[in-house]
Amino acid sequence: MVTQVAPLQMAALPGWTALAPVLALAVTALVLLLVDSIDPDTTDTSLLAGISVVGSLVSLALAVWFVVGGTGIPTGQGGQGTPVLFNGQLVVDQLALFFMVIVGSVTALVTLASYDYVREHSYQAEYYSLVLLAATGMSLLSATNSLASAFVALELVSLPSYALVAFLKKNKGSVEAALKYFLIGAVSSAVFAYGISLVYAATGVLRFDAVATAIESGVLQTVVDGSVQAQAGEPAVTMSILGVGILMVIGGVAFKTAAVPFHFWAPEAYEGAPAPISGFLSSASKAAGFVLAFRVFATAFPIQALIADGGALNWVVAFQILAIATMFIGNFAAATQETVKRMLAYSSVGHAGYVLIGLAALSSSGEGLAFSLSAGMAHLLVYGFMNTGAFLFIALAEYWGVGRRFEDYNGLGREAPLACAAMTIFLFSLAGLPIGGGFFSKFYLFSATMNVGAWSLAAALVINSALSLFYYSRVVKAMWIEEPDGEDRVESYPTGLYTAVVAAAVATVLLVPGFDYVSSVAFRAATLL
Amino acid sequence: MAAFTYAPAIVLLPFVSFLVALFLGDRMPKGGALAGIAATGGSLALSIWVALTVAGGGVYNEFVYTWVAGIESVTLRFGLLLDPLSALMLLIVTLISFLVHIFSLGYMNDEDETGLPRYYAGLGLFTASMLGFVVANNLLMAFMFFELVGLCSYLLIGFWFREDGPPSAAKKAFLVTRFGDYFFLIGVVGVVATFGTGLFAPITEGGEVVAQSFPVLAEHAVVDGETAGIAMLDTVGLGPQAWFTVLGLLVLGGVIGKSAQFPLHTWLPDAMEGPTPVSALIHAATMVAAGVYLVARMYGFYAISPTALAVIALVGGFTALFAATMGLVKQEIKQVLAYSTISQYGYMMLALGSGGYIAAVFHLTTHAVFKALLFLGAGSVIIAMHHNENMWDMGGLKDKMPVTYYAFLSGSLALAGILPFAGFWSKDEVLYEALIHGLGSEGGLATSYIVAYAMGLLAVFFTGFYTFRMVFLTFHGEPRTDTARDPHGVRWNVKGPLAVLGVLAATVGFINMKPVAELTGAHIDFLHAWLEGPEEGGWPAALVTDSHHYGELLHDVAGVSAGEPLGSIGTLLASAAVSLALAVAGAGLATTLYRGPDPVEHTDKLGSLKTLFMHNYYQDEYQVWLATGLTYPLARVMDKFDQGVVDGVVNGVSSVSLFSGQRIRRIQSGVVSNYATLLTLGLVLLLAAFGIIGGWF
Repeated sequence: MVTQVAPLQMAALPGWTALAPVLALAVTALVLLLVDSIDPDTTDTSLLAGISVVGSLVSLALAVWFVVGGTGIPTGQGGQGTPVLFNGQLVVDQLALFFMVIVGSVTALVTLASYDYVREHSYQAEYYSLVLLAATGMSLLSATNSLASAFVALELVSLPSYALVAFLKKNKGSVEAALKYFLIGAVSSAVFAYGISLVYAATGVLRFDAVATAIESGVLQTVVDGSVQAQAGEPAVTMSILGVGILMVIGGVAFKTAAVPFHFWAPEAYEGAPAPISGFLSSASKAAGFVLAFRVFATAFPIQALIADGGALNWVVAFQILAIATMFIGNFAAATQETVKRMLAYSSVGHAGYVLIGLAALSSSGEGLAFSLSAGMAHLLVYGFMNTGAFLFIALAEYWGVGRRFEDYNGLGREAPLACAAMTIFLFSLAGLPIGGGFFSKFYLFSATMNVGAWSLAAALVINSALSLFYYSRVVKAMWIEEPDGEDRVESYPTGLYTAVVAAAVATVLLVPGFDYVSSVAFRAATLL
Repeated sequence: MAAFTYAPAIVLLPFVSFLVALFLGDRMPKGGALAGIAATGGSLALSIWVALTVAGGGVYNEFVYTWVAGIESVTLRFGLLLDPLSALMLLIVTLISFLVHIFSLGYMNDEDETGLPRYYAGLGLFTASMLGFVVANNLLMAFMFFELVGLCSYLLIGFWFREDGPPSAAKKAFLVTRFGDYFFLIGVVGVVATFGTGLFAPITEGGEVVAQSFPVLAEHAVVDGETAGIAMLDTVGLGPQAWFTVLGLLVLGGVIGKSAQFPLHTWLPDAMEGPTPVSALIHAATMVAAGVYLVARMYGFYAISPTALAVIALVGGFTALFAATMGLVKQEIKQVLAYSTISQYGYMMLALGSGGYIAAVFHLTTHAVFKALLFLGAGSVIIAMHHNENMWDMGGLKDKMPVTYYAFLSGSLALAGILPFAGFWSKDEVLYEALIHGLGSEGGLATSYIVAYAMGLLAVFFTGFYTFRMVFLTFHGEPRTDTARDPHGVRWNVKGPLAVLGVLAATVGFINMKPVAELTGAHIDFLHAWLEGPEEGGWPAALVTDSHHYGELLHDVAGVSAGEPLGSIGTLLASAAVSLALAVAGAGLATTLYRGPDPVEHTDKLGSLKTLFMHNYYQDEYQVWLATGLTYPLARVMDKFDQGVVDGVVNGVSSVSLFSGQRIRRIQSGVVSNYATLLTLGLVLLLAAFGIIGGWF
């Protein structure tokens, strides 16, 4: 819990440098805009994609360096301390850095893949800068420590996303999807903002640690010069208003993570958007939604205090309902799809359900949070590679002009064995077979449910994993077993897309031996919250 | 002890020859035979060295390889136990295998058989498996090599897999022995679960026991009541002796399968479909011997259970008689030998069951020699007869193939138990042990022993009869076919092994001439001394596998005691005289019936008994009925259950999943205002539910 402003230990660097991964993304976005303003009609894809890839890799490298270097670990435990910035609005701890790593990796993969995908389109500079701006928002969201900054960061993610979904302006599907995404997004933002206002009304503060203090003490708080103190006259927190507020905040994060019932935008947006953007939204944007959820519910709404007060909202129950509903609706709908991209879109909803276990697998007295949270985090990291990779393969298929349906993939394995092998790794890893890190992260989630005896969650996880193997295998079967219908569809092997797909596959496989390290970092990050 | 350092090579050499024959056999002269001969010869030399070292008082019991390390549980290891029993068995197995390899040059190579590398690879692996089984120092390792032996027998019996008979016989051998092995496997698990170890003998270091063996633990539990450490007893709710009897009988299931005891003997006559040298190996030294050896190996475990002993004795005695009657009417030379094998292993079981540990090991030894001899002799005859095995087509071979004849005669005299050939001494001792223990013990045990003894004694007569019927039909009289008039010649590689074994069959009984020893007072019962060890200290104190200790256990725990109504020498001589008289009578009857230039069939005089014998008491029929009439319908019902209920549920689940998937899909109508409605509705529902629970309104 970050309640004290820890002194910055990073040698002689000023405090804001802890935000370097975020700033790297922001600066890259601005550089892209600068290039665009110098040469508004540039179609030099190499330059634009190059800047974007380099910018996101720099962000990734910085985040990894900080994680390994011990930023966010208290000095007492051999770390560098946790930088707290802007009066506690932002905090760069291990949790934030962990998600900055996810965002950086996914952004690098997506921008690399886009090199081939958007080559023929105009407004490329805008495309790349929008991607980078959204990534900036996601990175920033990982570090927010207040409901106000969270809302701002969330909108910074959302607004470029709407535009990116609509990037294929001449494609009706793309534009329609963007509009639906925007409308649902607007409703959800309204719900979220209203929830924030209710929490503020009930507790008097917006900073997560201050909200927690208010809930634990039962007295409205205020922040004076960065320190939290009780309001004069000690007015009591109204638990019912707080409860409505918390439920609406859940709505806000459910929208971003595409969890039921705020998921309606997801299948259409993912299907209509350019495939790299689908991968970006379903991996990085979902991860950003989850980091907000993890931080808010782990730090601002302490579950043990809420359970102790009978009238308050027990958000674990809410997340259990959402997790089970999301798993079932996502996977069952995925099982009956006819197009591969839409199947992946629904499966992405299903995976949101799995990750929600991170907040749902708690004992009745609210214990086991660090374990389940770290399981969710680890799954998101693995998911960042395998799901992005799968969508990038779809981008490759779209690039070749292969159709959208399962049958259209028939025999693709013979024409593009490398890419199809990578896709097989992604799909089996998504299903939870031990070919990629997906097996271990799912097993970790399963252990988290077992840890607290949450049988219903465990059963839902197992049933849906089994079902998911069915629909993922359909793609694998089409690629390798079915006969192709004759014509040669693969004429070229786009460098950028191929590199991105293969890199994602390598990362997915490497996460098998590397999972131990990832899970230990995630567990440490969750313990330090 | 340098010999023990090289002991693993006894097992590994034949294994290497297996690999060599398998992968390089095509490119080698004689199709890998020379590699096999070299390997088994090397193993034989090493076994002799080991035996000499053991004779000098050395024993060895160590783990050599850990393949599953248990953390706070059982550790699974390979180890070697070299004591007088295993040293003797090593000698037998390597000697027979060596001779069989040489004989195979004549039987397989000279006959231009194809697939020789496969044949020699099989022989190599067979030998290696049996040797691994013999030296195993724990039950699990023994089980694994036991199974390997079974696999090799399958491969070799089915060697001529393009014909109809051999593959079917191989499958039968595999399945029937496997049926017994199921019980063995359960027994292994039971023993390890009960005692936490499968060791046959304790491992000591500097006089301290570092790893106790399960027979000794069982003995402590039964004799001293040390049951505290055995958690399994509480689980099964039986007393120690009852539970150990159950375990012993489970292991006995494997023994009955492998050693072809009633009712699992049916595979063995069919196994004659394999090449004859393989039959010699199976019957004399490997496979069938494995079962009996296993009982001897863990004899300390059986010696504390009178029930298990009685079962073993009865099964053995019954099998001895039962198989001998079937041997009376067979027309093919190898069939007669097959039933004689079953019968002779019955004697060994009878000896083990009735407390004659030394007698059993003795008979195992002599039988290995004379049965290998008889099979190789039969193989020689079969070569000469161009692979016609029917005795009624033979006759008069005595003059054409004298070496084979005299060697075969030596083996037959041994088999029939005629003085002074090997079989007499050992069979006499078996029957003597059964008799005196039947007379001396009390209660049901005594009755079982007397019944078993009576059956064994009666079988002596039949043995003498069928043996000499075989000899006369094959070698005497006038040749009855053209082939018999002009037999195919055999070379040194056939005659050599026959000569060696022929001499041994006549003489190997001298290692334990108990009646002579008793009469003269000379210490010439060498096998007795070999298995009993020094009276104080030495290897018996370390390994607890000596016959003296077994005798004490039998007497004190199981209540097996000797009764000698005619005094010690009188009883001994009476028993010997009775069995010798019966053997001579059987042989004499065969002589009168089948001697002469043109013997005729007399089996018809048996009337309906002949039909019964020829059909082997309908054992195959009822076992086939068990499979097709009982198991198959049961399996069908299970299959219906699987197809209908289990698969039905699975299919139902998938239909329901797809159906509900379709429904869920329809929620996604594509109309954005519906989405907003559903979204808001969902939120309101959650709000209402939690509001009511939390009492917010």
